[in-house]
Amino acid sequence: MRLGVGPLSVTSSAELRALAQAATESSFDCVWVDGPPAVAAMVAQWVPIRVGAVVEVGRHHPLHLAEDIAVADITSAGRLEVMLRPAHDDPDVVKEHLHVLAIALSGAHIQWEGLHLRVPARLADNGRVPQRLALNPRPAQPIVPVWVVDHQSDWAGIADALGFGVAWRWRHGLAFGPTRWRLPRAVLCPNTVEPADLLAAAGDQAGYFIVEASTPGDVRATGRRLAGPLRMPEFPAWLNE
Amino acid sequence: MLRSPRCCWAGDVRLGIGIFGMQSVPQRPDHHVKLYRDLLEDAELAESLGFDSIWLSEHHFWFDGYCPADLVAAGAVLGRTSRLGVGTAVMLLPMHLADKVGAEAATLSRLGDGRLSLGVALGYREPEFDGFGLRRKDRGKLMDALLPELAGLCAAARPAVPIYVGVATAVAAQRAGRLGLPLFADSTMNPAELREMLAAYDAAREAAGMPAPATHALQRDVYVTGDPERDWSMLFPELRYMRRQYGSWSFPQADGESSAAYRERLEADIEAKLKNLIFGSADEVGAKLHEFEALGFGLIVCRSQFGNLPRADLRRAIEALGTLAG
Repeated sequence: MRLGVGPLSVTSSAELRALAQAATESSFDCVWVDGPPAVAAMVAQWVPIRVGAVVEVGRHHPLHLAEDIAVADITSAGRLEVMLRPAHDDPDVVKEHLHVLAIALSGAHIQWEGLHLRVPARLADNGRVPQRLALNPRPAQPIVPVWVVDHQSDWAGIADALGFGVAWRWRHGLAFGPTRWRLPRAVLCPNTVEPADLLAAAGDQAGYFIVEASTPGDVRATGRRLAGPLRMPEFPAWLNE
Repeated sequence: MLRSPRCCWAGDVRLGIGIFGMQSVPQRPDHHVKLYRDLLEDAELAESLGFDSIWLSEHHFWFDGYCPADLVAAGAVLGRTSRLGVGTAVMLLPMHLADKVGAEAATLSRLGDGRLSLGVALGYREPEFDGFGLRRKDRGKLMDALLPELAGLCAAARPAVPIYVGVATAVAAQRAGRLGLPLFADSTMNPAELREMLAAYDAAREAAGMPAPATHALQRDVYVTGDPERDWSMLFPELRYMRRQYGSWSFPQADGESSAAYRERLEADIEAKLKNLIFGSADEVGAKLHEFEALGFGLIVCRSQFGNLPRADLRRAIEALGTLAG
């Protein structure tokens, strides 16, 4: 099981830094910010743990997103994680953006012909332009972990097909199904969540639980309460007392 | 601030260091994790030497991994440093959306205690526009639409984000003048061309009824050396490579043009651009920079990184230039 904190709202550097440091000192695997890769790149300079960025997909050109992800992954020496929040009324637009993003991040030489995107566009007015293009530089990690927030049933299928993980919001009775990929299901949780409920939801699968926190004290208390039980079956409760 | 080693003249021009394009060039093909680690070390060095700021560049889809996301790199530098300004020199604004850039710049300004500046310009390389589904020929219209919106967002940010408009022509200077935004003058212009451009800027600004900005920014290719012979033999091939690359982007080989004729054209361009390089001792460089200060440039961003110079040489050049900063 993996444990993250956030997504933290981006208020001031002092607050964000204090929360990120508390996460580092509380056994979290990753600190997540509700902001672009540029902010994750900044936080990565403050802490040695992994950093996550929650960003919209479908609103801006996916090649820009791929470039932002690549540079944030490189500046953090391969510690970036990404959560994509679909942000377009037309699900087909989001799907195309996810496709192009996946191809770009893979390092393949891209030629995409879609209903909404043509990459490269090869516009007649642009003269002699290449038939394909590639993301340069590429991310430091061979595969940057990316999850798609599943707020409608369509996303799980497309995310799975593209090798992205799926992130859910916590609800009682949540149960993980099997996944074809090695990325665990991610769950965005309130910090009142009980470790036994998280383990029950995961069942035989791995889970990645990203827990809200608003103060360094919250972060420490949440890490203390969840890290042991999530990492070791039958964690002795007295260790946390 | 630029100070004289001899204290024979007083100047208050701010000195920036750049231009970091993060290129893994064929003659020194470092992994990008190393290149960005080096950048962060160079930023710390620049901060310790008292430079005003460090400046990052942007291009897309080039084999050497030229930085395509200068705001992300800026975020990392802001996170690593505490006093140093960080700027884009320049962001290719027509390839972006103003609301996204404005929102991210405002966030970085807040988290970076107001240390972010944006230099923005048109861009010119066709495959970059094409990659994003844009026509190069529309770049002026796009800039006309995007720049006022971005300027408004940056002025409303807390702390506000200074914007400089990258220019290499009088037409571009007039666009900035109509908005009253300060210039970021290209390194390839000589003093006479700069004067002409500033005059065009002022005429457009006054016609639009805009107040004069506090200052303008200027890029210059600068290399401070304590051993001209040694450093020139290192530097010249690197400069030549960099200028060939930019030249090939600015004016690609024409249909029917022979490779020999094209190479000749590139070489002529390299010769012309090298005339604007400031290469010499700290005293000589300081004196030259003050000539540009006198033209009205209160911020001079000195390009001492050309492609990916050998580490020891770049660090020595930054340290030597740093004797004028602080």
